Amino acid sequence: MNRRYKNVLAVGVGGQGLITFGRVLAEAAILNGTRVLTAEVHGLAQRGGSVVTHIRLGDVESPLIPLNGAHVIVSMELLEAARYINYANKETLLILNRRLIRPNIPGVKMPKINKVIEKIKSSGLKTVVLDADKLAEEAGSYVSANMVMLGALLGSKIVDEFVKLKNVEQVVSKMPEPWREINMKALKLGFSSYMKHEKET
Amino acid sequence: MSKSFLEQAGKTVLLMGNEAVARGAVEAGISFASAYPGTPSTEIVETLARYANVLGIHVEWSTNEKVAFEAAYGAAMSGVRALACMKHVGLNVAADPFMSSGYTGVRGGFVIVTADDVGMWSSQNEQDNRWYGLHAFIPVFEPYSPAEAKELTKEIFDFSEKFEHPVILRTTTRISHARGPVRLGELKKPVEGEFVKDAKRWVLVPAHARKLRLKLLERWRRIEEAVNDFPFNRIENPGSKKVIVACGITYGHVVDVLKEVDRLDEVTVLKISSTVPVPRKLVVEAVKDAEEVLVVEELEPVVEEKIKAILQEEGITVKVHGKDLVPREGELTLNRVAETLVKFLNIPKESIPWLGNSQEVSIEVPPRPATLCPGCPHRATFFALKKAVSKLKMKPVYLGDIGCYTLGVNPPYRVQDTCIEMGGSIGAANGLTVTTRQPMIAIIGDSTFFHAGIPPLINAVYNNTPFLTIILDNRITAMTGHQPHPGTGITASGEPAKIIRPENIAKSIGIEYVDVVNPFKLNEAAEKIAEALKFVEEKRKPAVIVSLRKCALLVISDARRKNIKIPVYRVDLEKCTACTRCYNVFACPAIQVLEDGKAYIDPMLCAGCGDCAQVCPVQAIEPTIKPGKEWEELWW
Repeated sequence: MNRRYKNVLAVGVGGQGLITFGRVLAEAAILNGTRVLTAEVHGLAQRGGSVVTHIRLGDVESPLIPLNGAHVIVSMELLEAARYINYANKETLLILNRRLIRPNIPGVKMPKINKVIEKIKSSGLKTVVLDADKLAEEAGSYVSANMVMLGALLGSKIVDEFVKLKNVEQVVSKMPEPWREINMKALKLGFSSYMKHEKET
Repeated sequence: MSKSFLEQAGKTVLLMGNEAVARGAVEAGISFASAYPGTPSTEIVETLARYANVLGIHVEWSTNEKVAFEAAYGAAMSGVRALACMKHVGLNVAADPFMSSGYTGVRGGFVIVTADDVGMWSSQNEQDNRWYGLHAFIPVFEPYSPAEAKELTKEIFDFSEKFEHPVILRTTTRISHARGPVRLGELKKPVEGEFVKDAKRWVLVPAHARKLRLKLLERWRRIEEAVNDFPFNRIENPGSKKVIVACGITYGHVVDVLKEVDRLDEVTVLKISSTVPVPRKLVVEAVKDAEEVLVVEELEPVVEEKIKAILQEEGITVKVHGKDLVPREGELTLNRVAETLVKFLNIPKESIPWLGNSQEVSIEVPPRPATLCPGCPHRATFFALKKAVSKLKMKPVYLGDIGCYTLGVNPPYRVQDTCIEMGGSIGAANGLTVTTRQPMIAIIGDSTFFHAGIPPLINAVYNNTPFLTIILDNRITAMTGHQPHPGTGITASGEPAKIIRPENIAKSIGIEYVDVVNPFKLNEAAEKIAEALKFVEEKRKPAVIVSLRKCALLVISDARRKNIKIPVYRVDLEKCTACTRCYNVFACPAIQVLEDGKAYIDPMLCAGCGDCAQVCPVQAIEPTIKPGKEWEELWW
């Protein structure tokens, strides 16, 4: 059976906008006539803790992505990328925000940012690292880093069959100002910065 | 929250499972909805509250689940359709009226939503509330997707009204907080009810109740028969030797795995939405050619045991698997379901590519537990409390409760020695104070206090039990996402409301020592807490401290809305001695650590509370702009 679907796992720290990431992507998919299911976690788990949103596009019946089954992992924070690497298989694409956030544990030992990137890359997976926070500030607000990452996901074309940049732009265009404009810019910056990375490598 | 909720009929929109339940209820024509917030159920009534005035329905946050249940039950007695929502443990609170509701039945359709937290993402246990259905003779229905959640909600209002009997809609986290496409139907207008006096039905004195029990059992027999034709139960691909019974959410997982191994056409699937009672005729029909049956359900073997009983009663011999292959604890993930199915279907594990070994990264990843937010007044209260206790050289026991402040269990504070259930802090203090010589401090949030903290505090006054209760008053139910409560001054649908102050309740029930403190004045708050502790010790009477400051997340959003600049703080690196006090002892997550151990305050995260400046022993922390009066006022 030729089953067609894509699994997008979005991970990061509570407060980084992962629920919005999932919602905007899923709404855009529906505009494109694609079936989509997402799963997220609210409540206690959100208070600065580690969070994960599952987004499944195409011929799917369950909202959950299996371990080993993500086609792409989008990570807003590097330790979280490492934590959820068990959702990746050999073919998985990693799109990472170049940011480390210290877990709020007294005396916690933090690895250096380059060390974490190097270790993740040594897994041999195709890895793209961008500075989403910086690009978001360029777009108008650090809050839009999630939209930069969404733009980068679309730039990778990995979900192209199911959802395109224009569908996402249609969703964002309904947001109130100033977020409409800032998020539009953030999406485009993420998109082009992924494309640029592709060209360079 | 999705704006798609009120889109017109015929459109397909993305809805969260909870929003889908809310939409289904409106399409069924509810007139009344009530709830106490609790993850993962909260967004049902939150969504309805947002549109209550447009839709003309009454929507309320009730003080607790028992009241929410009784209010909706009352509405359904009057003949209108009513919805009561709660998380799984909320039904424990509502269990008393719940048991009675089966006896009296209702006139209007009455749907009780229990949102079970399988996997305990945000709860103290993972109880399976399908048992409650069996216990009270109240049928339990379970959807497998947001789209089905909407349709099922609508359908079971009809079911409830047809039998004049309450019904349960049981969702789980992966329904409640899943999103998917939902095709909208027509909205139905609410109606007015009328209570028709009928003492033999509504007055549960023993003479009436004995007769009502017979009627209940008779109704239950009719319900057992009716679920055989319930449209959300069905047999797919009948006649196979292997039968999989999929219940609620597991139907999606099972079909997904069968698609993955391309066996959809080789296995019979019995899809059950009415997990209580199990549709007997469908079970018998589904297994007629079966050699083996597998029941895939989360948590307890509710359906499995019933199917075994049915087959025994019908004289059918067939091997039934269930909890021998399916884990009993935690969520069923696709991996867990796939592992079970490859065993049951005797197919090689390799046919599912993702059932192999996972990728690894050779780096130690520190855990990232949830934490109190930057600017959280609870952190300040905990800091002041520890200071007071250390000044008095006391070794108290901290009796904790349910809320954001439960996070105080973690280092560096460790001020939650127990956390049992809503109100359990003050409740347990009543016993522990009497049976030990240790000083007891009960710590409870404002919403939890209104919910279940008042009776045990009255108990302490009545029995004169000397312990200190600290009420953390941030003026909102914070953990579930800022729902208003009796101390907020606003109703669910946005109308102004009376403000009920916790300190006034404490005074009115006879607590002689009641003080309200500002936790952001760390030293003053510590002194006031110490005074209260001394009062308890010397006078041997209960005392109450209300620690009052708004939730920082609310303050920040208010500031953004009113265009008030947040006076974020900064560290003067010349003065900072890297003593670690601000990030390890006070432990604000906005404070990051530089390579030399000095502190750096992330301006994106700082909430401008100014506590760290008070904590710093060398005055190295200062505000970037002087906090003005209007900023201070936001915190009240």
